[in-house]
Amino acid sequence: MAAPEASSAAVPTLMTNNTLRNAFGGVLSFFILLLIGVLAFSIRLFSVIKYESVIHEFDPYFNYRVTQFLTKNGIYEFWNWFDDRTWYPLGRVIGGTVYPGLTLTAGTIWWLLNSLNIPLSVETVCVFTAPIFSAFASWATYLLTKEVKGAGAGLTAAVLLAMVPSYISRSVAGSYDNEAVAIFALIFTFYLYIKTLNTGSLFYATLNSIAYFYMVCSWGGYTFIINLIPMHVLLCIVTGRYSSRLYIAYAPLVVLGTLLAALVPVVGFNAVMTSEHFASFLVFIIIHVVALVYYIKGILSPKMFKVAVTLVISAGLAVCCAVIAVLIALVASSPTKGWSGRSLSLLDPTYASKYIPIIASVSEHQPPTWPSYFMDINVLAFLVPAGIIACFLPLSDASSFVVLYIATSVYFSGVMVRLMLVLAPAACITSGIALSQAFDVFTRSIKFQLPGLSSNTEVDAGETSSATKEAQNDAVKTEKAEETSKDRPSRKSKKKEREHVEKPSTKTKAEKKRLLALPLEASVISLLLLVFLGAFYVVHCVWAAAEAYSAPSIVLTSHSHDGLHVFDDFREAYAWLRHNTDVDDKVASWWDYGYQTTAMANRTVIVDNNTWNNTHIATVGTAMSSPEKAAWEIFHSLDVKYILVVFGGLVGYPSDDINKFLWMVRIGGGVFPHIKEPDYLRDGQYRIDSQATPTMLNCLMYKLSYYRFVETDGKGFDRVRRTEIGKKYFKLTHFEEVFTTHHWMVRIYKLKPQKNRIRGKTKKSKSKTSSTSSSKRSGTRKKNPWH
Amino acid sequence: MAISATHLFLVSFITLSLFLVISKAESESELVADLLALQSESKSGVIHLDDRTVSKFLTSPKTPRPFSFIIFFDATQLHDKSELHLRELRNEFALVASSFITNNNSSNTKLFFCDIEFRESQSSFHLFGVNSLPHIRLVGPTAKSLKDDSEQMDQGDFSRMAESMAEFIESRTKLTVGPIHRPPILSKKQLALIAALLLIWSPFVAKKIFAGQTLLHDPKIWLSGAVFVYFFSVSGAMHNIIRKMPMFLVDRNDPNKLVFFYQGSGMQLGAEGFAVGFLYTIVGLLLAFVTHVLVYVKDATAKRVAMLVAIFVSFWAVKKVIFLDNWKTGYGVHGFWPSSWN
Repeated sequence: MAAPEASSAAVPTLMTNNTLRNAFGGVLSFFILLLIGVLAFSIRLFSVIKYESVIHEFDPYFNYRVTQFLTKNGIYEFWNWFDDRTWYPLGRVIGGTVYPGLTLTAGTIWWLLNSLNIPLSVETVCVFTAPIFSAFASWATYLLTKEVKGAGAGLTAAVLLAMVPSYISRSVAGSYDNEAVAIFALIFTFYLYIKTLNTGSLFYATLNSIAYFYMVCSWGGYTFIINLIPMHVLLCIVTGRYSSRLYIAYAPLVVLGTLLAALVPVVGFNAVMTSEHFASFLVFIIIHVVALVYYIKGILSPKMFKVAVTLVISAGLAVCCAVIAVLIALVASSPTKGWSGRSLSLLDPTYASKYIPIIASVSEHQPPTWPSYFMDINVLAFLVPAGIIACFLPLSDASSFVVLYIATSVYFSGVMVRLMLVLAPAACITSGIALSQAFDVFTRSIKFQLPGLSSNTEVDAGETSSATKEAQNDAVKTEKAEETSKDRPSRKSKKKEREHVEKPSTKTKAEKKRLLALPLEASVISLLLLVFLGAFYVVHCVWAAAEAYSAPSIVLTSHSHDGLHVFDDFREAYAWLRHNTDVDDKVASWWDYGYQTTAMANRTVIVDNNTWNNTHIATVGTAMSSPEKAAWEIFHSLDVKYILVVFGGLVGYPSDDINKFLWMVRIGGGVFPHIKEPDYLRDGQYRIDSQATPTMLNCLMYKLSYYRFVETDGKGFDRVRRTEIGKKYFKLTHFEEVFTTHHWMVRIYKLKPQKNRIRGKTKKSKSKTSSTSSSKRSGTRKKNPWH
Repeated sequence: MAISATHLFLVSFITLSLFLVISKAESESELVADLLALQSESKSGVIHLDDRTVSKFLTSPKTPRPFSFIIFFDATQLHDKSELHLRELRNEFALVASSFITNNNSSNTKLFFCDIEFRESQSSFHLFGVNSLPHIRLVGPTAKSLKDDSEQMDQGDFSRMAESMAEFIESRTKLTVGPIHRPPILSKKQLALIAALLLIWSPFVAKKIFAGQTLLHDPKIWLSGAVFVYFFSVSGAMHNIIRKMPMFLVDRNDPNKLVFFYQGSGMQLGAEGFAVGFLYTIVGLLLAFVTHVLVYVKDATAKRVAMLVAIFVSFWAVKKVIFLDNWKTGYGVHGFWPSSWN
């Protein structure tokens, strides 16, 4: 540990000098933390500066809409909200199916600001929630690391976390998603757990349960906490580190935490019924058995204890066996053995690729390759092993937790690239510890060997360097550590006392250590290289924040030789829908645009990004893959009035509906077998030029995308597919174009009304047949039959 | 009584008429009975054929025969060649056979599982035209020429072991094989033994745990475990396992050259991952070595040399990773300097 060494440096100074130094260090750390908060906030503003203050992507729009509803109607309405604007005609129970943490947080911030007469819009609050919580997260990292290895390591870890690219990717301004607040909640819960473990205070234990509750509210990733902490407790017990502090840290968390978690509607009884939570209950029982053993050991004489121990062990084992048997029976009775597919694919990495294509197909769930680590945690990947080793020298309850955290999270991140987000804080903490200790050793070596400084180091002006400050903070820590280590033995087992006896000897060793410095010139080089490494990290993080992770994907830009182009077609289209259609009109589009349509256009959609009903999505997919008439009938049966398609052929926007079209065919064909993928492929190739199949050229998606496209350049050249389109001149019989945005990226069509029935032969026929017969006529008469 | 009398009468009448009408049925049912007898003799239900029985059951009876044969061609002298997997395939084949028999209550006389050994019955191998192993062949009831009319099981059909063999049989013969009954990995006796051992062992373990003397109490084990997990994960080994990536590829243009590094960030090769994982890990280990071990070394020159080596290796490793990352992903990471600096 760094603490004894630092205390040795502080020994020659006077007592008054020491307190002054501590106060100075405290103030300095405070300002450094403030600056770290500013850094964490401001590095995430690139998206606002480069684009504008706007909500990003798809899911954040849903969260934004929910927040709007919350601020307008209040918490009770929100809790009971049945949303009829989506999944028409099914609707969706929002209150019971979302993690409300993020929404409630942003809603509270908005309400607070408004009651302070700061009139910010809900959107502004939502945009800046993620950067604010990143600052909180870096402060929480400081607290956590400080508990483990002292304030110096804490500050280093905090500054690393403030700009770790993996976390930036989920928390730039405008990225209003669950992870933004959940990472803060995760770190803070861990901090409170460690704090409870170090102090044994019930106050912190209660706070810990509340922090856990906040985490459960925010993100499904809370299962990581409720499995990691029991694992750590078990590890402590197995390695003989049981103490009453461990009991206080764990037992209240399980009882209170589970009760609180069950209050969140989306979790509910899952908190006690699914296997993800069983580990915590099992460990809860084990810790009670162990506590009983320790208690009996305390009240009995050693001889009596030996007699008792056999009795207790056999009884305890019997109870354990019974409980395990019950648990196994419970688990075995559920079809998936109580585990959700995603959790199973973490335990058995090949599970998803074998059995759940839906999970395996999502790009976030792919296993990462080594460049992903370099992209997302950058040079921290080099420092983590040093941090792990530092945690073992010496091994404490807190540092063993950090080791467990990094080991589990790095394994999980290896299975799913998305979980890199959970690895990032752990990597920052361990790297912070490693960096801080390396700086400590190198600066100490330099300090004791520089000829001019060796006599009176402490009062030197050059002392404000970060490394010396760390030493000061470590001095503060030492006193605390010694205080605690003094009052601990009374409560602790004999093993701990043995450690305490060894303390003075380590102290004398530390005195000697001053002489055990490293060579001067090598230390200087190492220090410089470490600083360069840090500088490289900063450059990389700023680049990642500015270039890689800031695009909102609702506004697009492109640089060309004649300057910057901005494509704001999406908002143009949604605004058109909002202003030119009836408030109860239904808009059909592929599910990607569902959240945005409901949030920005305030119109009812058929399917959205919460893909809970496959059949419904397949219906829309089938309609898009069908010829006009069949599609009209499907959409008409769903009361759809407008169809929205995204088309990138004119400006070269690659993620448009034509490129997603094969998924529509596949998903549609999965439920409605008359849609067959090979019908849309020419010799296994997906093409839209003159070689395309007739089915492809006649399907609704093709027609809606390329209708009148030839008028733009006379040839109909598609810039995404880099080819001329196959069918250039055609008319629409059942749909009419009502709006196309500036760059043709969004095109909106209206379903033509049903034909008037009073006409010749079809006079008596019913509506269903009239639609078919009229379309027959439309084929024969060529001219538009509707007018 | 009357019923049973009429019954008896009917049965005897039918048998009589059958005897009269189809004289050949007798010989067929005899063959089937022989086969059933042979089947019950063998443990797994696989009938062992040789040249004599092949002619008896396959070449001499007139087509259509009342049964199909599925034949596994075996060669004892090739059993030790592990790349052929003959032994495993033979076991899987036996598994399909026994599952088929149990699922069909051993009353089915439509399909028989057989094997032929090369040394014993070389002429049969010629008869079937088999010249490479592993080889599994289905002889249908109508097959006249054993070589041309019977169907060979593709490599792909026995690649997934018993299940895929069963699928092949089901698709070709319209018979149902049913679920494969694999023997449990541990038999019940073994399980009981293990449980008993565990029970006896547990008090000793508990005693050791309470005394604090197990391997688990050694931090070095945990330390190396943690570092290994880290190395394993950052090298992308999970990616290689899930995607079943090879350690290296052979260059398409030059078959003598091996490709160890794959350009493009979506994929990586095994050796590549481990190399970079090693580079990731070595820097941290050296840093820890310098800060935690080297400070205790007394000899000043040794310190100096060790530090310089550590600095050099770390510098090289970081540089190499940065270079490889730029090469692989093609990202142009650049700083954002004030514009007046340019």
